[in-house]
Amino acid sequence: MSNPTPQPAPPSRALRWAVAGSVVVMIAAGGLFYYASQLAAAKRQINHNEIAVTIHGHACEPNALTVPAGRASFRIINRSDRAVEWEILDGVLVVEERENIAPGLSQVINANLLPGDYAITCGLLSNPRGTLHVTPTAESDAQAKAKPSMVAFIGPLSEFRVYLSSQGTALVKAVTALQQAIDAGDLAQAQALYVPAREAYQRLAPASQRLAELDNAINARADYFEKREQDPSFSGFHRLEYSLFQQRSLDSLGPIAQRLVTDVTALKQQLLAQSLPPEQLVGIVVRNLNSLADVRAASGEEERYSHIDVNGFAANLQAARKVVDLMRPLLTKSAADLLPGIDSALNAFDAELNGLKVDGHYRRYDSITADQRKQIADKAKALAVALDGIDPALGLSGLK
Amino acid sequence: MKKSTLALSLLMTLSPLAAFAATAPLDLVGPVSDYKIYVTEEIGELVTQTQAFTDAVKKGDLATAKKLYAPTRVHYESIEPIAELFSDLDASIDSRVDDHEKGVKADDFTGFHRIEYTLFSENTTQGLDALADGLNKDVKDLQDRVAGLTFPPEKVVGGAAALLEEVAATKISGEEDRYSHTDLYDFQGNIDGAKKIVDLFRGQIEKQDKAFLAKVDKNFAAVDKILAKYKTKDGGFETYDKVKENDRKALVGPVNTLAEDLSTLRGKLGLN
Repeated sequence: MSNPTPQPAPPSRALRWAVAGSVVVMIAAGGLFYYASQLAAAKRQINHNEIAVTIHGHACEPNALTVPAGRASFRIINRSDRAVEWEILDGVLVVEERENIAPGLSQVINANLLPGDYAITCGLLSNPRGTLHVTPTAESDAQAKAKPSMVAFIGPLSEFRVYLSSQGTALVKAVTALQQAIDAGDLAQAQALYVPAREAYQRLAPASQRLAELDNAINARADYFEKREQDPSFSGFHRLEYSLFQQRSLDSLGPIAQRLVTDVTALKQQLLAQSLPPEQLVGIVVRNLNSLADVRAASGEEERYSHIDVNGFAANLQAARKVVDLMRPLLTKSAADLLPGIDSALNAFDAELNGLKVDGHYRRYDSITADQRKQIADKAKALAVALDGIDPALGLSGLK
Repeated sequence: MKKSTLALSLLMTLSPLAAFAATAPLDLVGPVSDYKIYVTEEIGELVTQTQAFTDAVKKGDLATAKKLYAPTRVHYESIEPIAELFSDLDASIDSRVDDHEKGVKADDFTGFHRIEYTLFSENTTQGLDALADGLNKDVKDLQDRVAGLTFPPEKVVGGAAALLEEVAATKISGEEDRYSHTDLYDFQGNIDGAKKIVDLFRGQIEKQDKAFLAKVDKNFAAVDKILAKYKTKDGGFETYDKVKENDRKALVGPVNTLAEDLSTLRGKLGLN
C-alpha cells in the first residue's frame, strides 16, 4: 500500500507560477540593474566632464575658459573667504549662475551653451571679469541650421499673450473713457476719444478677427446690416462713429457705448483664453495686412464718417512690428536671410504713413489721393508678402 | 535576444516617464505669460513704493524710511528669478556688503542694503540723497528692461527652485537684512514668488505627478505656518532676532526639501 520510494510530486500549479514569477523578477531586476548602471555611468560621465574653476580672493582660476558648444558642467570651488557668486553673462544678461557659494565649498553649474563669447562674474564685484569662449561644433552648426522646435515658440507666444493682455486693458480703458464722455453729453470730447479707442482696437485687430461673432458686435460696418445705418442691430464702434461724426449727435448713444464697454471687456478675456499656434501668430498679421492692402486702403470704408483710417493702419502696423520683434530671435537663428526684406518692408510702410502726418497728426482720409492710397496698399501688400515667407522658412505649419 | 527585449519592455513599464504624456509646449504659454503679468505688477509696486521710500529718505524722515524699507523690498524679492537676470542692476539694487571688497565704504556698494546700513546701523538719513536717487533710477530701468524681455520659459519654471535656494542660503541665516533684521519680509517674498510659479503651472504639474504636487504644497504650508507665527498686526513681520531657535531649525527641513523638489520642475515640464 505504501510506496517506499516517494515519487516527485508533479509541480503544483502555484509552484509553476512562482518559478515563472521569479524569472520575471530576475529579468526585471536585471533590467533595473542595467538601468541603474546606465544612470550611474551617465552621472560619472558628467563628473568626468566637469570643468573646475577656483574662485580666489581676487580672481578666478582659470579666468579665461574655452569650451565646445552644448552642455557643459562647471564645478566652482570657492577658495576665497566669503560666500560669493559665479555667473555666465551674455552682455548684462545672466545665462546661468550660482549664488552664495560658501567658502571652502564647491557647487556645480550646468549650462547649455550656444557658440559665442560670454563674460564671467567671478566672486567679488570688483574682481576682474573672466571670459568664456564657446566654440561651434558640428552639432551646434546643425542645430543652428535646423528649424526651431515647438519649445522655442513658448517665449514669443507668451510675450504675444502679454501683449494681448496689456493692449486689451488699454482698449477697455479707452472705450470706457469714450463711454463716459458720451454719458456726460460732451460731443467734442467723445469725438476726440473715439480716435485713441480705435487705435487701441486696431492694435488688437489681427487677433480679434479670429473671434468672428464678438468681433462683429464690436467692429461691423453698416454694410453688414440690411437697413445699414438705420438698422436697429447696427452697433459697436462704427455705430458710435456714425452718430458722433455724421449726425453730430449723442442721442440714444448711451446704451450702445455701454454695450461696447461690455463687449471689449469680453474680447480681452476671450483673447487671453484662446490658444494661438505659432503659424497663426504670423498668419493673423498677414491676413490683417492683406485686408488693408486689398480693400481698406483704396476704399477708406472702415472709418467712413470720421476719416481716421490712417490712425488705424498705423496701429495695424504696430501689431505687425510686435510680431516681427517677437519672432526676430528665431528668424536670426534659423532664417536670417528673410530679415532684411521684412525690416525694409516694415520701414517702407512706416515711412509712407509718417509722410501723411501734419503737425504730429495723421491727415483725414478724405484728403488722401487715389495715388497715395495705392502707395499705402502697395506697402502693406509688400509687408504681407515678406511676412508670408516666415511660415515655410521656420516650418511653422509642421512644428512638433 | 528574447530576454533583452523582455527586459526592455519591462523597463519601459517601470520607467515613470512612460506612464504620462509629456507636457505639450503650447500648454506652457498661458502660465509663462501669466507669470510675466505677475512680475510686471510686482515691479509696478516696486517702482511706486521705492519712490515713497526714497522720498522719505530724502526728506530726512528716518522713522518712515525705516518703516518702508522692508515692505518695499518684498516686491524685488518675490520676482528675483527675473530681476537677477540683469546682473548689473541686481548688483546695484540688491548686492550685499560681502559682494564688495571694500565693504560698506566701497563706492559701488549701492542700493537697498547700502541704504539699509545707514538707516539702521548709523541711524540717520544723512548722505543718502544720491543713493536714493540711484535706487529710484535703477528700479525704473529694471521695469523698462523687464517689459522688453521675452521670458525664457526654463528661467520661469526654474525660478521656483532658485527662490528656495535663495531662502536656504541667505534667509535662514539672517544675513540678507543684517542691519534691519527684516529678513522675514524677504523670506515671505521669496516663498510667495515660488508658490506663484507652482500655482501658475499647477495644472501641468498635476498631470505629470500628483504626489509631487501634494508634497510641495505640504512643505509650503509648513513654512507658511511658521512664518505666520511672526506676523505683526500691521501685516508686517517681527525682526529676525525674535525667531526662536527651534523655529529656525524647523524651517530648514521643508525649505531644503522644497529647493530640492522644485529643482526637478524644469524636467517635469519638458524644459531641460
